[in-house]
Amino acid sequence: MLSNWNKWMVKRHKKVRLRCQKGIPPSLRGRAWLYLSGGKVKREQNRGKFEELDSQAGDPKELDVIEKDLHRQFPFHEMFVSRGGHGQQDLFRVLKAYTLYRPEEGYCQAQAPIAAVLLMHMPAEDAFWGLVQICEKYLPGYYSAGLEAIQLDGEILYALTRRVSPLTYRHLEKHKIEAILYMTEWFMCAFSRTLPWASVLRVWDMFLCDGVKIIFRVGLVLLKCMLGTREKLKACQGQYETMELLRSIEPRYMQEGFLVREVLEVPVSERDIESEHHVQLKRWRKNHGELHWKSPPRMHGARAIMASEPPSRQDLRQNPTIIVESPLPPPQPTPQLQKGEKKAQLSHIPATGCTMANVTAAQLWATIVYFRMIFILLAFKTPYCLEQAHSQQHTLMHHCQVL
Amino acid sequence: MGSDEAYNFVFKVVLIGESGVGKSNLLSRFTKNEFNHDSRTTIGVEFSTRTIQLKSLIIKAQIWDTAGLERYRAITSAYYRGAVGALLVYDITKHLTYESVERWLKELYDHADPHIVVMLVGNKTDLGSERSVPTEDAKDFAEKNGLLFLETSALESTNVETAFQNVLGEIHRKVSSKEVTRGSISAVSLSSPVPRAAGDPEEKKPCCRNL
Repeated sequence: MLSNWNKWMVKRHKKVRLRCQKGIPPSLRGRAWLYLSGGKVKREQNRGKFEELDSQAGDPKELDVIEKDLHRQFPFHEMFVSRGGHGQQDLFRVLKAYTLYRPEEGYCQAQAPIAAVLLMHMPAEDAFWGLVQICEKYLPGYYSAGLEAIQLDGEILYALTRRVSPLTYRHLEKHKIEAILYMTEWFMCAFSRTLPWASVLRVWDMFLCDGVKIIFRVGLVLLKCMLGTREKLKACQGQYETMELLRSIEPRYMQEGFLVREVLEVPVSERDIESEHHVQLKRWRKNHGELHWKSPPRMHGARAIMASEPPSRQDLRQNPTIIVESPLPPPQPTPQLQKGEKKAQLSHIPATGCTMANVTAAQLWATIVYFRMIFILLAFKTPYCLEQAHSQQHTLMHHCQVL
Repeated sequence: MGSDEAYNFVFKVVLIGESGVGKSNLLSRFTKNEFNHDSRTTIGVEFSTRTIQLKSLIIKAQIWDTAGLERYRAITSAYYRGAVGALLVYDITKHLTYESVERWLKELYDHADPHIVVMLVGNKTDLGSERSVPTEDAKDFAEKNGLLFLETSALESTNVETAFQNVLGEIHRKVSSKEVTRGSISAVSLSSPVPRAAGDPEEKKPCCRNL
């Protein structure tokens, strides 16, 4: 699917969606997320950008806040547990790069868990582009000064609650519980700090495929489950009690199988969200005036993003994540390994233009690299590369959360 | 959590101040007697309750802990609603966090009840050697602005208990004196839906001077 991404997305998008709903296999998740989010295309189109940002110093004020937060993300996760360890270092690089990429936006604390989840699945450069896509396409304006977009989405969630669970809506209305009180962390962190780990991954699979409606639906499911029946409401009279209940959601409602099933059932579409957005925006303008922060329009999922930034064949080509430097010079300059520098030269060579000798040399070289990689992986268990290590991490993380 | 306990008053208290000054650890120290070096950043709001006895009264404190980053101020106003007490926290080793106290105070008075009891809290006294905010400065500032003042260490559990108790005591004093009529502080609810502690349901008991 990933090797013919364009075709699958254009012609058989339903199948892609189904795959995301079933759960992306752990060994492919990182790559799939990068393709879905359009981070891959963005990275290819901005080659060298991350390195450039990475080498800059950054605004000391922002860096101070970022540094304070490095050890406060998933503190129990193996990757982020040690101060100054590679997980925290990469997190710093990604967040710093973002503040340089969008200096007018700067750093917002909720970006750290988003970047951390991405980093658990991909190297820093990829995670950076993933973060860019989430901040600009999926959840535009969420992390910008004034936090208007999240407040607006709070209103939208509240309005949708009325449709999905009138009982819950009336309760929230009666006790004057504004959505912003309970949904800020849910939405800004895309549930990464709320749900058990297995569910986070399933929700993100669907979220990166179908966009923000998944986040809304998860929110609606949790609200409905926790506050959807008269008995439950009777037991929680008052704002504080309700907040407490929403803070300690029963594990059975967050269990991945249950949650995904329920999320797929919620009758809320992109169009519903857009039309409610329109209504709430109008209300907002009436009450607060024009929005201070002009965000780009929200993209509802992978297909919309792809349409807005059409990839070239080159952009979607799969590159090896790790290139092992050999002490010997490569026998022949091969297209596979020289993508960066030789891009200009390669662009006029037709794809089938390689000679037989070239292909063989490339294959031979690839085999050597492959064995070297395996050797290194086994020796060091570099977490970015060894998918097995990923799943171990996840299991560990999951256990930590359960505990 | 403890909603079936008997109590005489419920007071809502908010923790405010810059990011990283230790608000969440003050909360966890007071409500759970826990401290965590690597506590997660607060995004949105956290909260916890603890019921304490002040003289003969049982007071349930609902403590709301907010995100400190500048950006979140746009949404924190929602948390102030109904608050009758606030701990405005700064870090004694980071002068910048003290400099922003005035901004926080303004923020608070803009959104909260005008009679709210505010305590200025200099946290992290365990890092005394790195102190950059002299106690006297903060004390003077607090006096000038009519705030209570204390220095604490959530890590060493110094003064945390006292800080919260003083604030709660002061709130109670205000409520029971004629300073504030009961109606104007909305979050002070006599515990009507739950069984009371035997005896003294009224707030006019001759107790709770300023501690």
